Amino acid sequence: MEADSKPKKSGARLCCVCNQNRAALKRPKTLEQICRECFYAVFEEEIHQVILENQLFKPGERIAIGASGGKDSTVLAYVLSELNRRHNYGLDLFLLSVDEGITGYRDDSLETVKRNELQYGLPLKIVSYKDLYGWTMDEIVKMIGLKNNCTFCGVFRRQALDRGAALLKVDKVATGHNADDIAETVLLNILRGDIARLSRCTSIITGEDGPIPRCKPFKYTYEKEIVMYAYFKKLDYFSTECIYSPNAYRGFAREFIKDLERIRPRAILDIIKSGEDFRISTTTKMPEQGTCERCGYISSQKWCKACVLLEGLNRGLPKLGIGRNQGLNSDGKKDRKRDSRTPSIESKQCGSLEF
Amino acid sequence: MHLTLEFGGGLELLCESVKIHNVNVDLPKGADKLSMRDLLAWVRTNLIKERPEMFMKGESVRPGVLVLVNDCDWELSGQLDTTLEEKDLVVFISTLHGG
Amino acid sequence: MACNSSTCNSSGCYKGYVEEEQPKPNTKAAVNGGNSCQNLCVKCKVNEPVCCGIGGENSRFCKDCFKNNLYGKFKQAVTYNAMITPPDKVLVAFSGGPSSRVVLQFVHEMQYKAQKNYDANKDKSLPVFGVGVAFIDESSTHSFTSQHIEKAIEDIRLIVSNLAPPSKELFVVPIESIFSSDGIDGKERLKELLDAVSDVTGKEDLLSHLRILLLQKIASENGYTRIVLGSCTSRIACHVISATVKGQGYSLSADIQYVDSRWEIPVVLPLRDCPAQELNTLCSLDGSLKIVELLNGPCSGINGLVSSFVKVLQEENPSRECTIVRTAGKLTPFHFNRVPEIHDSNVPSATRRHQKRYTLKPNGSLSSDSFCPICNSPLKKSNFPSSLRSHGSQQNPDLFASACSSCQFQILPKDPSLMEEFLSLLPQQMITKAKHGDQGNFSLLREQIQEFLFSDGENEI
Repeated sequence: MEADSKPKKSGARLCCVCNQNRAALKRPKTLEQICRECFYAVFEEEIHQVILENQLFKPGERIAIGASGGKDSTVLAYVLSELNRRHNYGLDLFLLSVDEGITGYRDDSLETVKRNELQYGLPLKIVSYKDLYGWTMDEIVKMIGLKNNCTFCGVFRRQALDRGAALLKVDKVATGHNADDIAETVLLNILRGDIARLSRCTSIITGEDGPIPRCKPFKYTYEKEIVMYAYFKKLDYFSTECIYSPNAYRGFAREFIKDLERIRPRAILDIIKSGEDFRISTTTKMPEQGTCERCGYISSQKWCKACVLLEGLNRGLPKLGIGRNQGLNSDGKKDRKRDSRTPSIESKQCGSLEF
Repeated sequence: MHLTLEFGGGLELLCESVKIHNVNVDLPKGADKLSMRDLLAWVRTNLIKERPEMFMKGESVRPGVLVLVNDCDWELSGQLDTTLEEKDLVVFISTLHGG
Repeated sequence: MACNSSTCNSSGCYKGYVEEEQPKPNTKAAVNGGNSCQNLCVKCKVNEPVCCGIGGENSRFCKDCFKNNLYGKFKQAVTYNAMITPPDKVLVAFSGGPSSRVVLQFVHEMQYKAQKNYDANKDKSLPVFGVGVAFIDESSTHSFTSQHIEKAIEDIRLIVSNLAPPSKELFVVPIESIFSSDGIDGKERLKELLDAVSDVTGKEDLLSHLRILLLQKIASENGYTRIVLGSCTSRIACHVISATVKGQGYSLSADIQYVDSRWEIPVVLPLRDCPAQELNTLCSLDGSLKIVELLNGPCSGINGLVSSFVKVLQEENPSRECTIVRTAGKLTPFHFNRVPEIHDSNVPSATRRHQKRYTLKPNGSLSSDSFCPICNSPLKKSNFPSSLRSHGSQQNPDLFASACSSCQFQILPKDPSLMEEFLSLLPQQMITKAKHGDQGNFSLLREQIQEFLFSDGENEI
């Protein structure tokens, strides 16, 4: 060992903001080296600015935080309750979780959310697939196997979140989608040719025409910083992969984004900027939204997708509504899903990215 | 050299779900110090029990895995060239799981 | 001739074009053919198939049908977009690779047929378009031996001289001659300029901007009216992704259309619908399509990452590149993504009438839109004030402020004090653009109005 090796750790690099403490990380957004305390301050302040500039919340609103127990939603719950207090947003915050009924996965992550409820003092509402649809994911997988299970889960979760939000009578749902997620979604929509989603996916508020709008306060927040924040603050989060989609995070697009970040961190924000700037003609609008004849949920078809899938399950024809076997609506839209174990282009097949 | 290694964010699943490992790593033959490059090779051989490609890519960690040496981002200390010392704490966190 | 061929008279062809976006006819043929024809070419149903298009088993073609199929896509792109008209002189940019080899071959075949028609026809009203070939020698930016380059250039001369009649002019021009008008040592200047760019991707992109400027220069000095590039679907797909990654979402749609008239000499991309895989197959099937193994060193940085990403995706799904280009094709193009209207009274009125359908009325004001002086991307209005604010350089506010954010980041120097020197290294063409680039909001407003009118017109069709 060299004699003067000690300074490497003690005094090598100082925070470029306060110039006093030892720097703890390099910010991907700005490449600044920054100490822990200054990092907390800029991290929270940037999210505050995003909330203000985009008018995500109004005083007195009831806001549900979509809480999965994972890193993003845990940090979101922590930061939002902190900012709400600090800047007097005047919001009533709630945690909203969906229990898909997956033993050994969701039951564990829900324990995390329940601890968050106590730690942050936010009331928690859990809506379960079993209550809403009469089926748990365990039961669905037992019936249909590991093919297409993610399609069911994605469709059901989307609706479950809205139903839970309605039960809580909230004005808006805040989700933990971060900058990496949004950049990935922009790429995926290009790769799939989905111009309608491409035009929507960078909006910080979506579904304003639907029952309950959703917003993404972490739209410009790097995943790296969220994880660093959670680590430094010792926040309690759950990070196990879904047992029914074990390799789902092996997506090409996500891998590409991480490779890009390594050589050019600003690429993530540049992709989002591109997504915002694409010249998409306003005349290529979405299909007219109606309501599902059966459950009243928004749907462009006679029945919403969840009801079609549910009908299939209940009639013992689980293929109904999947892929080319479109039964009731035959809306021609192909949903080519593959075996969840093979690598694919997207990182999260569970549908959480389809916003 | 005695080191404490911590795996988080789902990476612990690759080493039998044990998060904290107190290990003793020998210096490479003929070398007088241990770099992160050496440590990663050692971890891959000795600790990672499954799917090493989830942890490493080439000789470095897979992009998306964060590394902290004594609670300091290794991007500040030279990444693979970071020199380790006795009793250092090295943390690996995956950003790729859950959310 | 060219655009007036029987397949494309009046309104019929535009409809045909729209339908082409739907499933390809050859796939249908394959399905109809059924099992009995399994071992025959899906098109002629006579010969044995020797290769597949990207459609896989559904597109097994014999050699002739495969080539005709590709030529058909080329011809359709040329015809429907009025890329080449009888009075034109087109300059084909030839790199030696498969895509530009195929485009050169196809342009030649088209010219050859036009010449035959001309010779056979008593009424000599329609002239035959002229063809020239340009090879940009970039050896000064690579470390190749001079024998290697000389051999390559010799091969290229041979290829071009074999493509006659009609005979074609060949221009072999070193990349550094972009500085020739400045009367200095171009090689040294080019090296200094590239050395001043620290980002690898920025260096690569700057070089490609210089390349297109040089092609413009060659074309302009020698009376050419079109520049033909061999950009294939795969290349364009990579550009879609890399432009997205560089934050150029706004200007992206300008780069990927069949026609790009933002330049003095319009640039056309007739191989936009041909995937690289098919072009490579054609070159390996057809012994006469010799390609020149050369230069094109591996891409590094962002561009390299993007092309390996697209390659992985393409392996996972062979139509992925087409989907990417199709998505980008749904973005709104710019007013300059059409060929300018012909004024020349020597052009037969039939041609002019025909062209009217696909071109935009000329409007002097349109040329004064704001473009990045480095990469010539159209600039979004909102990008101006922020870039002015964020940069304090007083000496050269023009260049930095008038560049797009991508060039600001990856090409221009970060340190304002280095800007003066950097500016002095740029070729005259870019500096002129920087000086005249910032035309303010008036022209932007005009563009918006123009586009509004434009999209109305599109709906009627």
